[in-house]
Amino acid sequence: MSDTSLQKTSPGRRMRLLAPPFLALPAVLFLVVFFVMPLIDNGMRSVISADGGFTLSRYASLLTDGFYLWIIAQTVLLSAGVTIISIIIGYPVAYFLVRKAGRFSGLIIFLLIAPLLTSIIMRTFGWQVLFARRGLVNNLLVDQLGILSAPLRLTNSPEIAIAALVHVLVPFMVLSIATVLQGIDTRLEESAKILGANRLRTFFEVTLPLSLDGIGTGAILVFMIANGSFVTLVLLGGGMQTLPLMIYQQFNTTRDFGMASAMSMILLVIAVFCLFLQLRLVRRKGT
Amino acid sequence: MNRDWINLGLAAFVVLFFVFMLAPILIVVLVSFTSAGYVSFPIPGWSLKWFAHIFEYQPFIDALIVSIEIAIGATILSCLIGVPAAIFLARSRSAWASGVMTFLLSPLSMPMIVIGFASLFFLSLIGVGISFAALLITHTVVCLPYIVRTVAGVYAGMPRSYEEAASILGANPLLTFWHVTLPLIRPGIMAGSLFSFLTSFDNLPISYFFGSASTNTLPVVMLSYMENQFDPTIAALSTLQLLLAVIALLIVDRVYGIDKMTVAG
Repeated sequence: MSDTSLQKTSPGRRMRLLAPPFLALPAVLFLVVFFVMPLIDNGMRSVISADGGFTLSRYASLLTDGFYLWIIAQTVLLSAGVTIISIIIGYPVAYFLVRKAGRFSGLIIFLLIAPLLTSIIMRTFGWQVLFARRGLVNNLLVDQLGILSAPLRLTNSPEIAIAALVHVLVPFMVLSIATVLQGIDTRLEESAKILGANRLRTFFEVTLPLSLDGIGTGAILVFMIANGSFVTLVLLGGGMQTLPLMIYQQFNTTRDFGMASAMSMILLVIAVFCLFLQLRLVRRKGT
Repeated sequence: MNRDWINLGLAAFVVLFFVFMLAPILIVVLVSFTSAGYVSFPIPGWSLKWFAHIFEYQPFIDALIVSIEIAIGATILSCLIGVPAAIFLARSRSAWASGVMTFLLSPLSMPMIVIGFASLFFLSLIGVGISFAALLITHTVVCLPYIVRTVAGVYAGMPRSYEEAASILGANPLLTFWHVTLPLIRPGIMAGSLFSFLTSFDNLPISYFFGSASTNTLPVVMLSYMENQFDPTIAALSTLQLLLAVIALLIVDRVYGIDKMTVAG
């Protein structure tokens, strides 16, 4: 990567040292057979009707029926909401990590990464314990502070599911923003200040615009993962209906596999769109 | 003066942020040591009985063994096909090589529940069905990207001069690989393998579709346990898992450095 000069001056040696392309073949073949083929098969299942003919009726109802449209809307709104909250919470933390933390930055990085390695079940269970009938929150409200006379039913509300998703995803946002903030030349901010801009103006007109790439990278990542999340919603769902939950239900109870396949394809299209945005962002950064 | 207040506010916000990040995790650790027969917080007293209870519930033990076997198997399989690919991709600058890289990393971007659901039908179609092999294959699909990414990351940052020296001194490509390249990329393989292991071990959305008495993984059994019961056993089991993850994190930090991991991520 570092020695481009070598490549230019001695093509012969480069050829000998260059790893041959067939090395990538097993991995590519593996994914073609066990990743791409299942998705193609899934796409076929979504357009083949019960009697074996071709049909687009499932997509027609997914994209016109109010019930299904509301599910798709909830999926996108939930992911968008989680993404926006993650930006608002994550930005100050990333800023602190890069500009203010000093000798604490190692500790902060550890604290950010450690939760990423805990199981999704553990974190969901943690939220259940916090808000259970005999959990910490009810205990404080009823016994310690005496604000309420009876424990609240707090689990299974959308707010807790959203908090739990933000909890899982906000570290990705912080790390994405921090990476970009790290690369900003602080002399630009100093110049703005010397030219008379106050702190607020410097932040909004210099720092923030320069860190938009980090926000973008983090936002796509968070949106993409939130979009496909289902464990959190199964256990803390709070009555929300999203595509992953519907696929889970269609598989478990309704057993309408064709419909579940069509829903999977919609989810897949959203994911591919995010991947496309992500690649564009990376490519722009590269040039 | 104004400046100090802003800094203080920012620091307070960061402290609150970490309270938010750590509270749900620490509370589970504390509940796992409860002496109560139910989940409550604060806990009335200390006990290790819920850790003992894990081992009295046979499905947990069976599932734990399946999970470990699958995580190790998928990691080995991912290394076998992923390391050669990473070696090629790290040194190639052609446009189609970067396309191949995107393709090999793409399973990370797809919703796992879709991969699981689609694989169940496809693998049944080709006769693999719900089996240990099916779990191994699907887990490898999502573990492979971690191996490719970390190994390619390490290898791309490595100077070519070592391999050049070996080949100038007459070593053939195979000898060069074995004695020079492999030792140099070992930290990448180690780190990638640990992430791959943890990813497989924690996977629920894929494993869920391949559940049966002999192929239930630990998260699948834990989920079904949680849907019916709400007792501290799950807390105890999660605490053990956290211990495993922290040890893994420390190993990764030792051999590879956490900072590099985050930049690559």
